[in-house]
Amino acid sequence: MTDNNSRPGFFRRIWNWFWTPTAVLSAGFVLIIGFLAGILFWGGFHWSMEMTNTEEFCTGCHTMETNLGEYRETVHYNNHSGVRAICSDCHVPKEWNHKVKAKVMAVKDVYHELMGTIDTKEKYEDHRLKMASQTWKKMKQSDSRECRNCHNFEYMDFTIQETRAAKEHQRAIDNNMTCIDCHQGIAHRLPEGYLDEYKRVVDELAMEEAPKPLETASADTDTVRSYLKQSTQKTSGD
Amino acid sequence: MLNLLGTIAGNILSLPGILGLALGMTTRNLLLASIMGAIVGFAETLIFAGFDMSNVEMLELVISMGVGLLAGALGCAIRIKGTTV
Repeated sequence: MTDNNSRPGFFRRIWNWFWTPTAVLSAGFVLIIGFLAGILFWGGFHWSMEMTNTEEFCTGCHTMETNLGEYRETVHYNNHSGVRAICSDCHVPKEWNHKVKAKVMAVKDVYHELMGTIDTKEKYEDHRLKMASQTWKKMKQSDSRECRNCHNFEYMDFTIQETRAAKEHQRAIDNNMTCIDCHQGIAHRLPEGYLDEYKRVVDELAMEEAPKPLETASADTDTVRSYLKQSTQKTSGD
Repeated sequence: MLNLLGTIAGNILSLPGILGLALGMTTRNLLLASIMGAIVGFAETLIFAGFDMSNVEMLELVISMGVGLLAGALGCAIRIKGTTV
């Protein structure tokens, strides 16, 4: 004889409790609690994500020491006005969708830190061109979106720029160029052979974006023959 | 691969995932819920492309609509399982 009144398992009881309509809480109470819990969760989630955007967090790994050293010698780290661009300003998009995508993709950095892919100077130099190339590709694809968070052609006063800079910026506007087309190596040392590699990246993207050749329309011979016959009859009828 | 996973995660935590789920919870009709979710996915991609279809990337559009569709269906399942009305 089976015992039909046996007590369900722990997870089953949790599952049943979760889906059973409440008899003691009003809809308003559940809504208010849900709303407050939502604010707390979302605030905490957003705050945690912003924590991963700090310079301390980015440079906390041993493998980031080389990048940090190079960045500290640039105008983005130290300048007359004290306005700075930290790692995340250039490498993490501001828009939510793109930001989450960048954060998920950054998981690979943790993996490579653990595997020691670039943990020595020699290894770092071996990978420098590849790493730079990936970043250039992203920036070229996004029309240097992160640069443009601070720099905007529309607000550049060419009259107070150096003659060469003003001329080059005007050329960039005229030719629909993007920041990274000229400003590679703005915060990190340039790898050997960077010009050829950048050209390869640009060519690769151009190939990806180029319209695909149309497939040749296929029609069987009988269809073509019948169409031509109809056309000939129409013409002779006229 | 990472690019794909990132795009999916971005959409789950963005309008298609959240609003899609919420809209799905407003109906017991699975088809309607899925369609509403997919529309949110389409709208979001269009918004991010500055309302210019030439800026829309096909892969992002497909993922966005797919995530919206699944979120809508999940919302509908939650509605069916969790309510008596």
